[in-house]
Amino acid sequence: MSNTDNTLKTSIFTCAWCGLTTTKYIAEGAVRNHCPSCMHSKHVTDHVEGGSSTCEGRMSPIAIAVLRTGDWMLIHRCRRCDELTSNPVCADDNQLILMRMAVRPLAQPPFPLETLGSL
Amino acid sequence: MPRRTRPRGQTGHRRQRHKDVLHAGDGHRANGFRCVGCRLDVPPDAPGTAHRNHCPNCLTSRHVDRRIPGDRDTDCRGRMEAVAVSTRPDGEWMIVHQCLHCGELSTNRIAGDDNAIALMRLALKPLQDTNRASRTLLNL
Repeated sequence: MSNTDNTLKTSIFTCAWCGLTTTKYIAEGAVRNHCPSCMHSKHVTDHVEGGSSTCEGRMSPIAIAVLRTGDWMLIHRCRRCDELTSNPVCADDNQLILMRMAVRPLAQPPFPLETLGSL
Repeated sequence: MPRRTRPRGQTGHRRQRHKDVLHAGDGHRANGFRCVGCRLDVPPDAPGTAHRNHCPNCLTSRHVDRRIPGDRDTDCRGRMEAVAVSTRPDGEWMIVHQCLHCGELSTNRIAGDDNAIALMRLALKPLQDTNRASRTLLNL
């Protein structure tokens, strides 16, 4: 998310990774913080200290967490300083990347799946 | 079990950040811990990893590190629950923990003696809600 001077006026941002220009607010009035196409984000909030971060690194999606309500949360990791954030998934996010992240661990299990039945 | 699926000749692999706080004096490997979730006494050394930070039975961890893994610098001490499984580019599984007290997130590699059923249940969590998963598939 590049913050130029006209960001607040026009409510758009350009993705730092894929270059897609998209609106900052989605239909439900929530604020979007990641690109709907490539799901990358930008490190602007410091979650350990609170307040804004000076890192501004690129944050790539690494996992999908599930809330008790069943909603999916997207977990981002900063490529520069390794900080983690979690954000709710938007309705218009790239479903292919979401599904790929959800099934990615199953493609390379750390133990043979055949033995799971005998456990 | 040694991993045989590691891509060969992978260059540009990102190294872990340097941590000088670990293994000094009577560091974290000197004593085991008792799980805050299931009260299991966990021995300090684990097969396959040098940085065990979660219970092998219920995967629960405790919030002790602040910014760098191993710094033991936070006052939170809350219980951290495993919320997701993430996969490294080389196929290693990482557990993502979230602190129930302050919401902080952290990742840790799985250990060789981690409960396979608990790991699998965690990895399948996004697909558990069949409505959500099938809606996502239909929208592709």
